[in-house]
Amino acid sequence: MRKQFIIGVVAAALAAASLVATSSVSTAAGTDFSKCQNLKACGGMDALVKAAQKEGKLNVITLPRDWANYGEAMDLFSKAFGIKITDDNPDGSSAYEIQTVKTAPASKVPDAVDVGITYGLDNTNLFTPYKVANWADITSDYKDPAGRWYGDYAGVMALSYDTSIPKAPKAFSDLKDPAYKNMLAIGGDPSGAQEALMSVFAATVASGGTADSVQPGIDWFKSLKTSGNFVTALANGQNFLAGAYKVSFSWSFNGPGAVTTAAKAGKTVKYIIPTDAVIKGTPYVMAIPFNAPHPAAARLWTEFLYSQNNGKTSMTVGSTKGMTGSKIFSSIMGGQNIWILGGALPITFDAMVAKKTNVTAPEGYGIPKGVKVITPTVAQQDAAKTLLKAQWPAIAGN
Amino acid sequence: MAAIMKISPFKWILIGASAFLSILIFIFPLFAAATYSFRGEAGKGRSLANYRWLLEQEGFYPNLFTSLKLAVLAGILSLILMVPTMVFLNLKAQRFKPLIDFLCILPLIIPVVSLAIGAQVAMPEFVQNSEYELVFFFVIIALPYTYRAIDTSLQTVQLKTLVEASRSLGASWLATILRVIVPAIRSGILGALFLSFALGIGEYTITSLLHWETFPTWTVVAAQQNILGAIAISVFSFIGAIALLTAVSLLSRRGTKQTSITSEGEGVLL
Amino acid sequence: MKSGVVETPKMVQGGRLGSQVFPLLPFFAFTGYFLIWPVLAVTLRSLRGNDGEWTLSNYTPLLHGSYLHAFITSIKLSLVTSIIGSLLGALFAYVVVRYAKGRFGAVLDSISAVFANSGGVPLAFMFIAAFGTEGLVTRVLKTLGWDIYAGHFTIFSFTGVVMVYSFFQIPLMFLVFKPAIAGLRKEWMEASTNLGATQVTYWRRVAIPMLMPSFIGAFFLLFAGGFSAYATARALTVGTVPLVPIIIGTLVDGNVVSDQQNLGDALAVGMIIVAGIAMVGYVWAQKRAAKWRQS
Repeated sequence: MRKQFIIGVVAAALAAASLVATSSVSTAAGTDFSKCQNLKACGGMDALVKAAQKEGKLNVITLPRDWANYGEAMDLFSKAFGIKITDDNPDGSSAYEIQTVKTAPASKVPDAVDVGITYGLDNTNLFTPYKVANWADITSDYKDPAGRWYGDYAGVMALSYDTSIPKAPKAFSDLKDPAYKNMLAIGGDPSGAQEALMSVFAATVASGGTADSVQPGIDWFKSLKTSGNFVTALANGQNFLAGAYKVSFSWSFNGPGAVTTAAKAGKTVKYIIPTDAVIKGTPYVMAIPFNAPHPAAARLWTEFLYSQNNGKTSMTVGSTKGMTGSKIFSSIMGGQNIWILGGALPITFDAMVAKKTNVTAPEGYGIPKGVKVITPTVAQQDAAKTLLKAQWPAIAGN
Repeated sequence: MAAIMKISPFKWILIGASAFLSILIFIFPLFAAATYSFRGEAGKGRSLANYRWLLEQEGFYPNLFTSLKLAVLAGILSLILMVPTMVFLNLKAQRFKPLIDFLCILPLIIPVVSLAIGAQVAMPEFVQNSEYELVFFFVIIALPYTYRAIDTSLQTVQLKTLVEASRSLGASWLATILRVIVPAIRSGILGALFLSFALGIGEYTITSLLHWETFPTWTVVAAQQNILGAIAISVFSFIGAIALLTAVSLLSRRGTKQTSITSEGEGVLL
Repeated sequence: MKSGVVETPKMVQGGRLGSQVFPLLPFFAFTGYFLIWPVLAVTLRSLRGNDGEWTLSNYTPLLHGSYLHAFITSIKLSLVTSIIGSLLGALFAYVVVRYAKGRFGAVLDSISAVFANSGGVPLAFMFIAAFGTEGLVTRVLKTLGWDIYAGHFTIFSFTGVVMVYSFFQIPLMFLVFKPAIAGLRKEWMEASTNLGATQVTYWRRVAIPMLMPSFIGAFFLLFAGGFSAYATARALTVGTVPLVPIIIGTLVDGNVVSDQQNLGDALAVGMIIVAGIAMVGYVWAQKRAAKWRQS
């Protein structure tokens, strides 16, 4: 008798509790995080953070840790919000990202992609519209009016070199000197790799040409191959360690990570932005797939990457237990500044400079004063690729 | 007697040339890479630090186990699929040989990237949700090697005679295959097994394109910012795989007796 | 008691198609699902234009310009590396079968299996570490007075790639061809000597014809492998040696061109066609060689 009474009380209590729980869930469930298109529609930062933490996970894709300081971004986000990040195939390509969005099983679809601009433009039907809080600060050239994709950061063509060489280069044209025999390499095939393609533009401008035709750049590489300065070794950490090359072209945002990695292997590397040509690449673009498995986390991650905050880093963030979502968000460094520290030019850089919210770029990554910054357009890049496809093998006599 | 004495300098020339070329092509590169792997902190001095770093990484043992598991399964499945097929092909269905030969070369011709993309489009969701789908693709990728290895071995035995003799003595097909043919083509089977296993352990492209994590894909990520560590991993993978296969091979030799009818390589030509 | 019918080759081939196909079904089913279907997906995609229409337009670029050049270079590279690989691999196989003791042979088999599957950046690094401008061997030779980089040689070239490919071509040949050499029976040599033949004659009239089908088969395997390999070449030549698989990678799995996947698929199908053509020659050569064999 007593037992039944107690069971009855417990059952009633549980029923009441579950009613309360369901009702509070249904209040929060009023927001569909897979459809809300900006922070306000998503219920504000506190609600967004709460929902993201409930999801608990974030799928990112093809983000190498030392690329534009993504390692720091992922660490800080993870630590501050307690959300676990999985990085699918860090060395993968933009094509791999799009392919994954299209064909991966539901749980493995990335929550956000970071792809070359042509991939963003060609696949808008895969993405859901979302406009970050400081949408207005993004240059209209590099964002979709409907909000389905948006430029995130760009890099500048830099020279990286082993400081043990006798003569340190200051400009691209320095590399013609016989002192650089067997020293120069690039990071891939210019007709197919973005970084290498930009190297040819850099050589073109340094030779006095314009971005309309990269013929001067191709000729430059050919003459350096003949003189023996240009080595066709693939520019990567291992080949560098083995001494296959000493100087290479590189995105500025690969610099800080590369310097640290090289130091661990006993090599000292320096990055400089040469004085005779400043080639800024078209920005990479971000987007959220409409079938992202963790929509709230995806949106929080995007807001985080576009935040212009100057705050705590992953080393200094400490415990965020008990803090409201918006408090956490405003206390940590935002992605735009994290990218600056990584040697990249974030998309809202000009706005940040005007508002004075930007941190200082690491030494050596500042753009030389008075040099014209050239960004080859997509059309110019296509023309370059056509020329390169036809002429690149011939520079080695093949 | 005179003939045998004439052989000696010829023998030493052959062995010498082979050894010299082997050292040049195989030993030097491996040794050179190994010297980097033993570099110490910040590239100075000599130490085993890079190997210790490798073993200390969280994920080393789980991923190694995953790869071993998948590679073993791939090896076994390869044999189960190919040995009966090849035996039957050579025995009774020779008209299909060119077709099957071409099918087995196809995985080598078609770039792995294209195959993986085709697979993602064609495979249903439930297959794509299990890492064991990789076993099937490893077997496919190993087809060119397993076909060749087993076929070469089969060409050296009197297949029809063996089968007829065995069957006429009352053995079933299964017994014939297991107890007569398999020992006869042991070297081809072992070659096929080793190649499938080695391939499964080291396969990277399809694994990463299908979003799975195995030892090779894990090592690439883990060693992203550690050049010496990455080198140590390659050297370790080489030596480790060789040691493992050698152990398997030596262990499997113990229990078998070579009869003179089915022996090969014991008392050979010249 | 057996029926007394001896199964001659003629009778076997005259047998019912069904009974021949049935035991092969597991194989056909397996390869049909995991190999043919994906290949079919790729082939179908190669026949579609960017807007989904059926077209052969993806194939026209293959016949001239840089793509044709890439096919020629790919074939050249495969031919050279498979010739070198098959000759040296066969030599090593002979030496080991003839002169090596059992245990050592087992170690070599394992080593060959691992080497045959190597490639890419790690393999390129190994050779750069040994033969690059600051390589171990380069430096040793320099102290001995011979600067191999003084002239035109460099590991970063077609020649260099051929050298590096030997690292996996030779072991593959070794592993796959060794059983054939091991299958040459001592008795045949004895019989041929008893009949008055010299060693040279034995080799010329007995051993080599016996080995030919396997040799050709293994050679074809090396050719196919050399044809589709690319990561190693890419690490040493950054595209200055144009190869079809590299281009496919760029189009299908790259960072620059987003809308030319169908062209990449056409290139892949092109590779299959080249292999198919080579296959015809291979089958013909095998048939000729097999005339020497007795079933």
